[in-house]
Parts: sequence; structure tokens; C-alpha cells
Amino acid sequence: MFARVLEKLMKQRVTWIAAFVVIAIIVPGGFAKAFSAAPPSPEQGATEVMPPSPGLTSPDLAPLSQGPLARSPDESPNNCFKCHANLPGPHGGIASKWDASVHGRAGIACADCHGGNPETDEMILAMSPEAGFIGVPPRRDIPALCGGCHSDVERMRQFNIPTDQLPKYQESVHGVKLAQGDIRVAICTDCHGSHDVLKASDPNAAVSPYNVPYLCAKCHSDEALMEPYGLPTDQLDIYEKSVHGEALLGRKDIRAPSCASCHGSHAAKPPTSDEVVNVCGKCHTATQKLYEESLHARIGDAAPKCWTCHGTHDIIKPSEDNFLHPEPLVDQPCGECHVDDTTFRMEAARFESPEDRRCDTCHHPTSWVMTQIKAMKNALVEAQEAYQAAEDAIQDAAARGMIVNDAEVLLTEAHTSIIRARAVVHTTKLTRVTELTDDAKEAAIKARDLADTKLADNLFRRRAMVVVIGIIAINIVGLIALKYQLNRHSEGS
Amino acid sequence: MALGLKNVQSKENGNRRSFLKWLLGFGIFSTIASVLIPVIGYLIPPERGSTAGGGRVLVGTTLDIPFGMGKVVQLGNKPVIVINTPQGITAFSAICTHLGCIVDWDAERQLILCPCHDGLFNPQTGAVIAGPPPAPLPPVPVSLEDEEIYLGEA
Amino acid sequence: MNDQVIDRPTSLAQRVIDWMDERYELRSLLDAMLHVYVPREAKTFYLGGITLFLFFMQASSGILLTLYYQPTPDTAYNSVLFITSDVSFGWLIRSVHAWGANLMIVACVLHLLRVFFQGAYKRPREITWVLGVFLLFITLGFGFTGYLLPWDQRAFWATTVGTESAGAVPVIGDFLLNFIRGGATVSDVTLTRFFGIHTLVLPVSLAAVLLVHIVLIHQHGLANPKKPAGQVKPDEEPGIPFFPHYILDEAIAWYIVLAVLVILASLFPAGLEAKANPLETPAHIKPEWYFLSLYQFLKLVPRTVGVLTPVAAAPLLILLPFLDRNPEVAPAKRPRMIAAGVLLLLAITILTVWGHFS
Repeated sequence: MFARVLEKLMKQRVTWIAAFVVIAIIVPGGFAKAFSAAPPSPEQGATEVMPPSPGLTSPDLAPLSQGPLARSPDESPNNCFKCHANLPGPHGGIASKWDASVHGRAGIACADCHGGNPETDEMILAMSPEAGFIGVPPRRDIPALCGGCHSDVERMRQFNIPTDQLPKYQESVHGVKLAQGDIRVAICTDCHGSHDVLKASDPNAAVSPYNVPYLCAKCHSDEALMEPYGLPTDQLDIYEKSVHGEALLGRKDIRAPSCASCHGSHAAKPPTSDEVVNVCGKCHTATQKLYEESLHARIGDAAPKCWTCHGTHDIIKPSEDNFLHPEPLVDQPCGECHVDDTTFRMEAARFESPEDRRCDTCHHPTSWVMTQIKAMKNALVEAQEAYQAAEDAIQDAAARGMIVNDAEVLLTEAHTSIIRARAVVHTTKLTRVTELTDDAKEAAIKARDLADTKLADNLFRRRAMVVVIGIIAINIVGLIALKYQLNRHSEGS
Repeated sequence: MALGLKNVQSKENGNRRSFLKWLLGFGIFSTIASVLIPVIGYLIPPERGSTAGGGRVLVGTTLDIPFGMGKVVQLGNKPVIVINTPQGITAFSAICTHLGCIVDWDAERQLILCPCHDGLFNPQTGAVIAGPPPAPLPPVPVSLEDEEIYLGEA
Repeated sequence: MNDQVIDRPTSLAQRVIDWMDERYELRSLLDAMLHVYVPREAKTFYLGGITLFLFFMQASSGILLTLYYQPTPDTAYNSVLFITSDVSFGWLIRSVHAWGANLMIVACVLHLLRVFFQGAYKRPREITWVLGVFLLFITLGFGFTGYLLPWDQRAFWATTVGTESAGAVPVIGDFLLNFIRGGATVSDVTLTRFFGIHTLVLPVSLAAVLLVHIVLIHQHGLANPKKPAGQVKPDEEPGIPFFPHYILDEAIAWYIVLAVLVILASLFPAGLEAKANPLETPAHIKPEWYFLSLYQFLKLVPRTVGVLTPVAAAPLLILLPFLDRNPEVAPAKRPRMIAAGVLLLLAITILTVWGHFS
């Protein structure tokens, strides 16, 4: 209740300030107009100098009628644009970038961020501190400046975009550091651009999902920049080779996660250990459900989470090799993992190397659990081998021109069961895995038998062919002999 | 002497001629056999195997697939999921468009579910609702006569 | 002679022939048919006979295929699958039919080339040539209509591409396309249409034309490739007896073709792609090899030109004996015709190879 009243008051205050600012702009503007020798009418100005700009000329995208920032309420000419568009150097570029940006299209103009008076064509008046001109806003103030509009629910409603970016940002690592006075951290404009802000759905935008990894890497791959924070700079290189990077950047699969999918965008920070299962589960719903059935999911913080086995930026396609080290590990002393008899700890560092993201990194080689793990792995390997053998036989038969559709259906069944069995490993329940691998093996063996029958049939065909060719050869020999005899006969007579 | 030579020659000739006759006889016989065996084999109707079919196939009754239930059946050698939805019987190819797993009926959610990666499909249209499948499930013509469900076009 | 024959104890076969001959006077007919002579210089390479043999193979294997084949879009594919994988020796019958079609076109074209280069189409054999060209067109028609019948992706799309070019004919293009397909697109109507043409219209036409073609050959005897017909004196040289000498050679040639057919069918049996799907165009659709040159030509030149060229070329080919008035048959004495033929052949070969690799 109290918050509401405060909000109302704030709004009123904002309105007052706005009214004051509007007057402050209109009055000097009016003076300027009155004193200039031949005041151009707004329409003329628009047709003569201003390049066509839908945002500024179409009435349905008219500038906001009331606002906290310095701008005129009616459709007045944007004199900043008029001059800057024709200036040499970066200015012209800035003007045209702005013109193509979301802000340019929505009529959010120069003065909305930079202050000043766009009504006057007198440079000194337009960019005077009295007209509220602030020039380039300081980095520290930018989140608040953008948030000034973007936090306003009413104002953003027509664009159907969220309004929580500012508070989210303030919670993010970037925002916290900025508040502490560190202006090297990312601010709004670092990601979205300043004059050239584009919608995230625009493939040209730096914040479009396809570009996000490179956007983040602009800073995060910069060793000099990351050095004071002690952060690694190889995430992009690693991510690019991961299944996710391959899918998003290689195959352009928009559903694959970019940096922001796991770290958040405005609230960017690394997911914590108690968040990670949900973060991955955003997409891997089925796997999350299976994982939550497991014992791993029930032992709290010390438990292995998704990243314990799969890694983070470097996630690659898992296989049966993920169960155990190629060489059996020497059993470690108890103190390595167990604090006392009842608790144990998991140091993330132990799983840093992909080589160590395996069951036997934690589980004793002689434990009961290990026999289960080995059985699970063997079941999967056997099913995979049966599948491979069936596939080879089918391919062999197909290459010999046999029709293999029926065998391929069985192979698909086996494939389905193997994929499901692999997913079910997350439950850590051996019987659930073997149930499916048994199905897979059964289907694969049936498929193989079918393919073998076809291969046998093919062998029969080839043998029959040899016999038939033999018969034909005998016939030809017979006919040639007959011909020979005929010739002799006709010569003789 | 001359007579003897002629005799030998004609005997040789006779031998050769009978061999030739035998050869040609064998040739004709074996040719006919190697044509007739496949043709007769072809004419004997085979048992309709798994790849047989065509036209309409009876895949079950509404007793097998009661209201709100779905079932994967074989059409020819392709798995097809048949669903008894409130809008009537529908059928789709049961091969998931993601990685080719065989989809299943999720009675709890009343959706077609691919168990491999949790792809969900609309039971009325086959459209993807959630998950990784890149394309909808292709529909299969289905018709209901009294209680009997037929796949394939009428 | 006659007395001796009567005195000999007659075999059963002989008695049956005698019995028939008494009533129908078959012997004189058979004598007239068989006791002709082939000029010693004639080199036919047995190509006409091979084509005839392949036609019989196609007819018999085709009849066998119709016992299981079902010409509707829903069932065609499955029935072909059934023939190929479930019916015993079905794969053999189908593969023989598929390979036989290719070999028949090869034999037919080679036969045409032989006749062309030997000048055997010249007076008095003009009509024989005309009918022969018709036979080639009918054979190509068999290939085109038969290709659709398995109703797999390749069949469907090759037919779509193949019929599409008919639409480029000026003025009547749309009508023609609609007429061939039986509708705007390749559909169930196209399938039944092609089936009817393939199994009824074309076989009957081919048999009728073939009969006249053979009767005409019989009337003229084989051409002498060394001398124009007018210069050959009737009893200058008796030549080789057609029966049994020439027939024997022909039989050997047939056996060799049969062996080739058996080897091809066994080692490279006819396959089957996925069932036709009008909504999914596969990559790299190409027509059969014998239409490739035409297909490649269509790609290179404007559509109208590409379609009209074969339409204009066909009458030229048909009417060749009437256009080429030079009575000489020896290649050396008609260099321009030979050069034109070689050039055309080269062009078609290059286009085919290009079409294959493009």
C-alpha cells in the first residue's frame, strides 16, 4: 500500500519535472523562432532537409506526449539530426544508425538521451547546458538513463517488452560492480549499442542469439580486461566446439542455448550449484525428470549435478566412455572425499578436466555401486554393439540391392530403446536401464536376423546366377558346335 | 584300308553327332527349366509378409484404442500412432522427426510424446508443441467404420 | 528325294507336322518364311533380332508383373515392394523387366545406327525405316510410362520433371501438360493413365507396327551394305540361308543377351526408394539416362527452343529415307550424311554424359 502511494507521488513529481522541462524548451524555442528572419514552417523543413524517416513523419508513431527527458511534445523538427546527418566524420554515421534503429523508428530522438533542444537550429542554443544538454552520458549513469524509459510499464506496454531489466541488471555481477564504481563492466550500450539499438529478434542485432556468444566474448575473451577479475578467457573457443555451440553457431539451430540462456542476460551471473539442474532442465525436461528420480538428486549440495559429468561450456556428446576412466583408478584415501564418517564434499576442481568427469572419480572401484555402474555400462555397450552389427548387416544387404525396409523398422525400435536407455542412466537405477537395453538388443537381433536372411538370399541369387550362366554357356557351345557341323555339312554337299 | 578309314571316320562322326544331340537336348531342357522354375515360383502366391499391404488395413477396433487412448501399430513396415481423440480418430507416422525414435501416447497429458528427448506433438494435427523435433509428424489417412479402425485411404 | 523321305520311319514330330500340313498347308508357309537367304556381305550384328528377343522378354516379364501390381497411388508402391521382397523370384522378374527395358532401348538405338550407317533405309526400304523409328518411339514411351509405375520418389519426381517440359510447347503447352498428366500435377490419374498406356496401348501398337516391320523385311530380304538395292542382281550370289544358319547365329546372340540380363538382374537388382511424396522434392532429380541428353539440352537453351527442337527433329528422323535421295549406300560415297550422323551422335553422347555429371 505504502509503496503504491510512493509510486504515485513519484509519478506526480515526474510529471511536474516534465512540465517544467517542456516549458523550458518551448519558451527559448519560441524566442528563437520569433527572432529568426525567415522562420521555416515545420512542414517545409521536413520536406526540404530531413531525409524520409517514418518514425518522425508517421502520426501513429508520434513522439511521446509526456516524458521525463528533454524533448518537445509535438511533432517538431529534429534539428540535431538535420545538422549531424550532414556532418563529416562519425556524426553522419551516428545519425543514419539512429535512423535505422528501434529508437529512430519509434521516434525516440537525440535529445531523449543527450538532452538539449532539438527545436532550435542555433547550435549554441540547442546544445547549451541550459537546454539540458549533457553530451555523451557517463557510463555510470547509462543503466539509469535507459531504465528511465524501459522500467516504465505503461510506456513499454505498446512495445510488449519486459520492464524488469534495470533491477535485474543491478543484481547482476555487472550491475553490482558498476554500483561499486567499476566502469569497465558491461553496461546497456555495450551489448545493445547506443545509436544502433536493434531488436533482439533482428539477426543483425549484436544481442540476437546467433551473435550473443561473440558479443560476450568481446570482453570475456579479452585477457587484459579479464585479468583483474581472474576470469578465464577461453569460454568462446570451448563453447564453439561444444554440442551447444555446434548447434547454435554451426547448424544455426535457434533452439540451442547461447551464453545468455544459462547465465541470464541482464542478470548475468554464473548459475549456482542449486540452480544448475533447473537451468539445464529448461530444455532437457525429460532428463531432469529422470535425474530427479535418482539418488544423486536427493543428497543435496554435495551431489553430482549436470555439470559434474557433462561440464559447462565444453559439453560434448556423451557416450559409454563417460562411465569409467580408461585405466582403473587407484582407490583414494577416505579423507580425499569424506570429511568424517557421514559427510563428504565435492570439489569442483576435481571435475575440471573432462577426463575426470566419470563415475569412478567418486565411486570406489570395489564398491557395490561400482558393480552396478559397470553392469549399466556393459548393458549399454552390448546394446550398442548389437545395434551396430544389425546396422552393418542391413547396410550390407542394402548395398547388394536387397529391400531392407522391414529390418530398418526394427532397427529404429532398437535405436529408440538405446536412446531411452541412455537417458534413463540419469536415474542411476540399473534395472531401468537393462529393461530398455534388453528391448534394444532384442529388436537389434531380430533386425540382424532379417538382414542375414536377406544376405543369404542374395548369396543364393548369385549362386543361381552362376548356374544359369553355366547353362547358357553350354547352350552357346552347343549352338556353335551345331553351326560348325552345319557349315561342314553344306561345304561337303 | 580306305574302307576301314571311312568306317572309323563315320564312327567318329556318329559319336560326335550323338554328343552334339545330347548337348543340344540338355541345352533346350535346361533353358526351359531355368525359365520355368522362377516363373512357377513367382506364380505361387506367397504368404503376405510384413512388407505386404496396400489399400486399407484394419489395425484394430475402438475396443483396443478406447477414447483418450493411443496406440502404435504397424502399417506395412512403418510404425503409425493411432489416437482416439475427442475430435475423432487421428493417425500419424510414429517416427519422430527429431532423431527417428518411435513416439508413444502420453495418456496423462493427452499428447503424443517422443520418449527420447521429450518431444511433444499435438494429437489432432501432429504439430510440434515442445521439444527438439524440427517438423510435425506426417498424418496417415485413417477412417472409422462402426468400431473398426482402418489405415490408408478408402 | 521324295521317295526316300516317305520310306523313312517318321518321328512323332514329323507326323504331327504332316497332319497339320495336310489340313492347313503349313509347310509352304513355313518354307516361304524360313527359306530365304541373307546376303553374304550383310552385317546386321543381330541387333534387330536382339531387340525382338528383348521385346518378348519384356512382354512375358511384364505380364507376370501385372499379376501382383496394383496401379493406385496407395497400393502401387506396396505392391512393388511386395513383388520385390515377398514374392519368390519377384525380384528377378522385376529386375529383368527393368534391365530389359534399358537393354531394349540400347539395342533399338544401335539397330537404328546400323541401318543408318549401312544406308539400309534407302529405296525400297523407306517404309521399313519409318516403322522402325516408330518402334523406337514406342519403346521410349514404354520407358517413360513404366518408370512411374513403382510410385517411389524417383519415379514420381522424374515423371514430374519429364512431363513438365511438355508445358513449354507454345500455345498448346498447358493443354498438353494437362493431357499427359491427366491433371495439373502428377497424381493418381497420371498413374492409371500411364499404367493403361504401358500395358495396353503401347504393347498393342508395338506388336502391330512390329508385325508390319518384319513382314516388310521379309519381303525385301536384308540389304546389301556394299551395293545400292538397284544394283544387286537377284541370283548373283545365293547368300547364307536364313534358316538354319542365320537363325543359329541369332540364337547365340540371344543367349548372350540373356546372360547379360541375368548377370545385371542378379548383381544389380531393381531397387525401390521411399514412397512418392508430392510434398517433398528430393535433391538431384534426373530422368532416365535415355532422356538425359534431351533433359540437358532443355537446360541449356530457352525452354521453347528446347522443346521444339526434338518436336522438329522427330519428323526429320522419320522421313529420313525421303529426304536423303542419294542412292549410294557405302559410307565413303555419302560423306555428308555420315558426318551429320556422327556429329549428331557425338552431340547426344556429350549431352548425356554432361547431363549425368551435372
